[in-house]
Amino acid sequence: MTAITLHGIRKAYALGPTVLHGIEMDIRPQEFVVIVGPSGCGKSTLLRLIAGLEDCDAGDIIIGGQRANDLAPQDRDIAMIFQNYALYPHMTVRENIAFGLELRRVPKAKRNARAEEVADLLQLGPYLDRKPAALSGGQRQRVAMGRAMARETSVFLMDEPLSNLDNALRTELRTEIKDLHRQLGATIIYVTHDQTEALSLADRIAVLKDGHLQQFDTPDAIYDRPANRFVAGFLGHPAMNFLPAARVMGPAAAVDAVAGLRPEALTLHTDQPQGPAVQGRVVLVETTGAGLILHVDTDLGRMVAVTPRISRPTHGMALWIGLDPGHALLFDASGARIDHPR
Amino acid sequence: MKRDPLLLTGLALGAGLLFLAPVIYSIWLSFQTANAYYTGTLAFTLDNYGHAIGQYNFARYLVNSVIVSGLVTLIGISLATMAAFAFARWRFWGGDFLFGAVVATLMIPSHITLIPNYLTLAKVGLLDTYAGLVLPAISSGFAAFFLRQYIRGIPRALDEAAYMDGATPLQVLLRVIVPVARPAILSMGLYIFISEWNSYIWPLVAVGRQDMYTLQIGLARLYRINPGEGMIDWPLVMAASTLTLLPVLLGFFLVERHLIRGITMGAVK
Ligand SMILES: Nc1ncnc2c1ncn2[C@@H]1O[C@H](COP(=O)(O)OP(=O)(O)OP(=O)(O)O)[C@@H](O)[C@H]1O
Ligand SMILES: [Mg+2]
Repeated sequence: MTAITLHGIRKAYALGPTVLHGIEMDIRPQEFVVIVGPSGCGKSTLLRLIAGLEDCDAGDIIIGGQRANDLAPQDRDIAMIFQNYALYPHMTVRENIAFGLELRRVPKAKRNARAEEVADLLQLGPYLDRKPAALSGGQRQRVAMGRAMARETSVFLMDEPLSNLDNALRTELRTEIKDLHRQLGATIIYVTHDQTEALSLADRIAVLKDGHLQQFDTPDAIYDRPANRFVAGFLGHPAMNFLPAARVMGPAAAVDAVAGLRPEALTLHTDQPQGPAVQGRVVLVETTGAGLILHVDTDLGRMVAVTPRISRPTHGMALWIGLDPGHALLFDASGARIDHPR
Repeated sequence: MKRDPLLLTGLALGAGLLFLAPVIYSIWLSFQTANAYYTGTLAFTLDNYGHAIGQYNFARYLVNSVIVSGLVTLIGISLATMAAFAFARWRFWGGDFLFGAVVATLMIPSHITLIPNYLTLAKVGLLDTYAGLVLPAISSGFAAFFLRQYIRGIPRALDEAAYMDGATPLQVLLRVIVPVARPAILSMGLYIFISEWNSYIWPLVAVGRQDMYTLQIGLARLYRINPGEGMIDWPLVMAASTLTLLPVLLGFFLVERHLIRGITMGAVK
C-alpha cells in the first residue's frame, strides 16, 4: 500500500559522469513498475537510490508519503533482490532466506516454516541446508529472490531477478511474482532486459536511456504510442523498421521525418501491391517456432518482417513489402513522435 | 589426488626435522634427571615437571600468562575488528588521517613507548596488576590494518543485503562481516596471542611481584635460582620451556583447522 514518488532525482557517482538526470516518477500504491533500458543506463542506480544504498545529489524520494532521502536503508522496510545476488556465504539457504525475519525477532519455528514455504515456491526445497557455494547460478538467484519474498514488505525492488533461469522456470516464477504482487498488495519496481517480462508483468513500464526517463506508461501505450524513436525501437521484437517518411506517407511528409513500421505491420507480396511498397530480396530466414522472421534487403536498407511459417519464403527470393501508412508511426528529425499529417 | 614426488616429500621431511630438532631435543632433555644429564647417562623422570610446577611456581605463571594473553587477544581482536570495519566501510571526517595514524604506529619501535607507558601506569597505580600488563598491549595497529584490507575484499553487496534485511551496522558487523572474515580474524587472533605470550620486556618492567610473573619472566628467572652453584639445571629449564611452549602449540592446532580460505565463494555473481 505504498506509493513512491521520485522528484527531480539526480545522481553522479564520485569522480564519474552524471548517471541520472532528473528522474520524475509517480508510482502508485500496489503498482507493478518495470524499468527497462540499455545496459549502463542507470536502472540499478535508480533502485539503489530508492533502497537508500546511495544518496541522491538532488531531488526527493518520497516513500509512503514520507520523505525518505535521509532514512537509512534498514529503516525503509524495502526488500531488494540484487543483480549479483549478494547471498550470505556462511549461511545455509534456509538461514539466508530467514535472516530478515530473524533480525525482526520472528520466532525460530515460525521463520523456518516461512523459509520452507518460500523455498517450496521457488523449488529450492532440496537445497535448504546447502551453502551458496554449492548452488548453481540459477539456484542462487532463486535464493536471492526467496530472501526478499520471505519478508512480507510493501515495497519490493527486483534487479533482473530471473535473468539466470531457464525458460520454463522463468515463466513459472514470473507467474509467482505476479501472484506475490497480487497477494501482498506490494508495490514492485522491477528491472529487466527481457521484453516479454516487461510487457507481461508491468502495470506501467519506465524506459530509461542514458539516465533520462524516456517514457513512463502502460505497456499498450508504450507499444502503440511510443514517445520517441528510441522507445519505439527498444521495445518490440523484432525491432521496428525505420524508413524515410516520404516513402510511406507520400510527398506530404516532411523531408527529414522518419516512419516506423513494426515487422508485424508489414505485408509480403510476390507482385507489386497497391499503395506504398518496396521491393527486396530475402537474405536471412529465422524460425521462431510460431512464425518466421525475414531479413530483407531493400533499397531502403535492411528490413525485418514476420510471417506465418506456411508461406515458406526461401533465401534469395525476391518479394514486395507493403508499407501501410495506417500502421506507421511518425518521428521528427529529433526523434520525437509526431501525429500523422491529417 | 596426485601423489607428491618422493624427492619433495623427503626434502620437506628433512627441513621439518631440521627446524624441529631443538624442540625435540629440549623435550627429550626435560624428561631426564640432572645427574644423568651431567654424567652423560640416561635416567628418565617426571620430577622436572613436578619441580617446575610446584617448587618454582610455574603453575601460577601459566595461569598469569593465560589470563594476560587471553585478555589481550580477546580485547585486542575485538577492537581491531571494529576499527577495521569502520575504516573499511565508512567514510567519515578525518577517517583517512586516522587510518594513516594507525598505520604509523606500526613504524614506532615498541621500546620507545616503554618508559612513557611505565610512567603512566606508575602514576595511575596499575603496576603489578593484570590491567597493567593487558592495557598497553590491546591496541594492535597491525591487526587493524590487516583486517581492514581483508574486509575491503568482502563484497559490499553483502553489507547492503543485510541492511535491506533490516540489520543495524552492528548486526552487519557481527552477523555478516565477522563470520565471513573469520579466517583472517582467527589468524590475527593467533598472531596477537603468540606475540603477547612471548612478550618479555613489558612484563619484566611492569611487574615486580613474583606472583604476577608471566611464564617468560619465570623462565628467565629460572637461570638465576639454580640449585647447583654456577651450574644450570638444564633438564629443569627444558621442562619449564616445554610448559611454556605447549599452550601455544595447542592453540595453534585448535585454530588452524578454521583457517580455511575462500569463504566468500558463492556470495555474488
Ligand atoms: N559505484 C559506481 N561508481 C562509479 N560509477 C558507477 C558505479 N556504479 C555504476 N556506475 C556507472 O553508472 C552507470 C549506470 O550504472 P547502473 O549499474 O545503474 O546501470 P544498469 O542500467 O543497471 O546496467 P545493467 O543493465 O548493465 O545492469 C554506468 O555507466 C556505470 O558505469
Ligand atoms: Mg544493473
